[in-house]
Amino acid sequence: MGSAGQGHSLITARDAGLVACQQCGQVHVLRAKVCKRCEGRLQSRDEDSLQKVWAWLIAGMIAYIPANLYPMLLTSTLTERSESTIIGGVVELFEYGSWGVASIVFIASVMIPVGKFIAIMYLAVSVQRKSKANRHERHRAYEVVEFIGRWSMIDVFVVAILSALVQLDTIATINPGIAAVSFALSVIFTMLSAQAFDSRLIWDADRTQQ
Amino acid sequence: MSDANDTGPAPFDVRPVKRRIWQRLSLVWLVPLVALGISLWAAWQSYIDRGTLITISFENAAGITAGETIIKYRDVTVGEVEDVEFSVGLTDVLVHARIDKTVAPFLDDDAEFWVVRPDVSVRGITGLETVLSGVFIEGNWDTDADVAQYEFTGLEQPVLTRANQRGTRVVLRADDGGSIAAGAPILHKGIEVGYLEKPELSFNGQDVVVSAFIESPYDRRITSSTRFWDTSGFSVSFGTGGVSLDVSSLASIIEGGIAFDTVVSGGQPINEGHRFDIFPSEDAARDSLFMDPNAEILEVAVLFEQSVSGLAVGSEVRFQGIRIGEVSNLNAIVVGDAASAQVRLQAILAIEPSRLGMGADATAEDALALLSDFVTRGLRARMVTGNILAGTLFVELVEVEDALPAIVTLTSGDFPVIPTTDSQISDVAATAEGLLARINALPVEELMDGAIDLMDSFERLANDQYTRATPAALVALLDDSRELINSDDIQAIPGDLRDVIGDLDSLVAEATEVGLIADLDAAVEMAGQVASNVERATQNLPKITADIEALTTRANELELEALVASATASLDAIDGFLGTDDAVAFPREANAALATMRELLDEVREGGAVANVNAALASANEAARAVEDAVSTLPALAARASELVDQTEAVVLSYSERSRFSAETLATLRDIQEASDAISSLARAIERNPNSLLIGR
Repeated sequence: MGSAGQGHSLITARDAGLVACQQCGQVHVLRAKVCKRCEGRLQSRDEDSLQKVWAWLIAGMIAYIPANLYPMLLTSTLTERSESTIIGGVVELFEYGSWGVASIVFIASVMIPVGKFIAIMYLAVSVQRKSKANRHERHRAYEVVEFIGRWSMIDVFVVAILSALVQLDTIATINPGIAAVSFALSVIFTMLSAQAFDSRLIWDADRTQQ
Repeated sequence: MSDANDTGPAPFDVRPVKRRIWQRLSLVWLVPLVALGISLWAAWQSYIDRGTLITISFENAAGITAGETIIKYRDVTVGEVEDVEFSVGLTDVLVHARIDKTVAPFLDDDAEFWVVRPDVSVRGITGLETVLSGVFIEGNWDTDADVAQYEFTGLEQPVLTRANQRGTRVVLRADDGGSIAAGAPILHKGIEVGYLEKPELSFNGQDVVVSAFIESPYDRRITSSTRFWDTSGFSVSFGTGGVSLDVSSLASIIEGGIAFDTVVSGGQPINEGHRFDIFPSEDAARDSLFMDPNAEILEVAVLFEQSVSGLAVGSEVRFQGIRIGEVSNLNAIVVGDAASAQVRLQAILAIEPSRLGMGADATAEDALALLSDFVTRGLRARMVTGNILAGTLFVELVEVEDALPAIVTLTSGDFPVIPTTDSQISDVAATAEGLLARINALPVEELMDGAIDLMDSFERLANDQYTRATPAALVALLDDSRELINSDDIQAIPGDLRDVIGDLDSLVAEATEVGLIADLDAAVEMAGQVASNVERATQNLPKITADIEALTTRANELELEALVASATASLDAIDGFLGTDDAVAFPREANAALATMRELLDEVREGGAVANVNAALASANEAARAVEDAVSTLPALAARASELVDQTEAVVLSYSERSRFSAETLATLRDIQEASDAISSLARAIERNPNSLLIGR
């Protein structure tokens, strides 16, 4: 079969009357509800997957707003007290010439979360529309999203480490701002969103509902 | 498949039940809902917690940074600057700031904002904290929430008075703002009790007004009779007590200062914003205590023909010794027509009717009427010396006896004119001249003449030929006496007497026989009488001789020649002294000392001491003349004594020649012998103790 009929040449486990355990990969008959090896719940398709994806995604996006509006770091030194947001910090770093650090912070804190939002939305919409195009690419995109999502926490870790290290009372103090918590929440929600996505749905596009 | 299709029943169309949408909804939707809820709540919370936006316009916003500069109220941060921009037309800098909503309602129209910057002044350093932290905006408003305002005009200088500070604010008025600066202290009995705010020109540009804040509780000391005066800098006063330097405080030297005091009681409590005048000195302030600054003032003019140097604006105007006003202006005006134009110096006198004893509600017209009345009765204005050293003058209104008729001239010029009379100006030069004139008038020369006369009299007495002859005459008298005693006749007297006795023996024998004894007794009795006569005649002789001796001794003791010489010498010296330049210059040089001597001399003159001295000299003169007269009679006395001796000698001789008087002669001679003994004993006594003559023993 040609590439156009590639989908048709594939047989899904569901078509074969089988269901695989998501955790350990043990294959069961379709009727089985509990994995006999790891006792994980067996589900051929997660009916609520898209709902969860959307819910977590929206929650993540909501959390991402204060993460950008509120200051990430509260820096108090002897003479001044400064609050820097994510974007403000990036701009500041860039102005100081630390464009390397600036780009890392920018990628980790802005590009990756925003890219994740877009990617997850794209995946969810494409599954809902039962799009048959680019199913392999979409699957790869899903895997990339799931893999890379955790790296967004690097920003939160930086804030946490700085806050723990720089506590010199009046001379210099760094405290996490509201944005740090919001950003962490946003990353967590987005990761949950990505996890909630049942990538098997990508392949059900050309199958009638059974 | 086909079997199944053919044989079996049609396959079940197994469809899942379309679940209702709420059944299909996953619980996971709660997460974004909660997140949304939290976000919205937080947003709402931050929105309603958001401070009130106000706008403060500054001329100069140096150091103000958006997002950093904070706004403080009583050292607590109450807001933050959000934005700094220019107003339309770039006239002002607009500072937009968020103020805590709890504080914002109190920002009514009394709210003031200023930028706190480091400030170094005499009284200390303020705003030092801004060196590190950067400037901040400080606000000040009271604790009454009024109609909230959102736009304010920032002050360039910090306000000194906090709105919640307790005290009283008064307005001070001064003619000159040179001595007052914002922040200058207000002192009361040396304690700093308040401060001045920024001086400003008054509305009409005539005065400087400055708001002063007196802290509680010192503000209770201020009543309507309180007076403020300028204590700035230091004052050096020179008076009878010496030089006194008055410095109130270091800060007041540099920044100026105002002091106040309430000397008299009975003032009314004042309201906020009461107006006071600043007097130039404490004395002026105290002088004005009885002057109501709001009292009606009568202004009259006085035209002086002479210089008014020494008269100044503010010089006192006195009426019978009481201050009734002051000179308010001095200028020169031309009076008369072109031909007879003369420059007169016009002094404007500001007279307070209340000080003329007219009551507080007397108007200027009343006072003018009273003055006019006085002028017709002889009231005149004149300048009088106030202080000889400083040469200051004041104007005095005096009633002049038999003054030429005059009235208050109402028509010429802007002010009624009070006629003048001769001024009593005694400056230092004139006083010194008067003193010298009085010294010149002293009878120094008369005194000298009297002294010279006395000396002359002494000299005449000493040089008198009689005085000089006296010792010689005395010597002659004594010589005569000695000759008499040593004469052969006298020496022969014993021998003769022996003969006579022999004769007498025989005579007695004869007389016994012939009864001559009785006769002889009678003769002897007669001779005794003669002798007593002689004795009587001569008994004064020792006294006279003693007097002469005394006088001689006294004259000798007087060392007349030395006296005369020394007197001559002293007279020469006096002559020489009087002839020297020093003596001529004496009055000039003695000027200073004579200033004090003047009064002494007055007293001396009044006490009549000079007259006494003159009288004493005159009596001494008389005494000298009397002595002279007395002395002049001495030679006559001596002559008479000589004559007496001669006569006695003759009598003795004649008697010695006549035997029939032998008996008398013998008695006489005995008596003479006794007299001679007396004289010689006297002479011995005198020799032993010449002083006895003087002291009368």
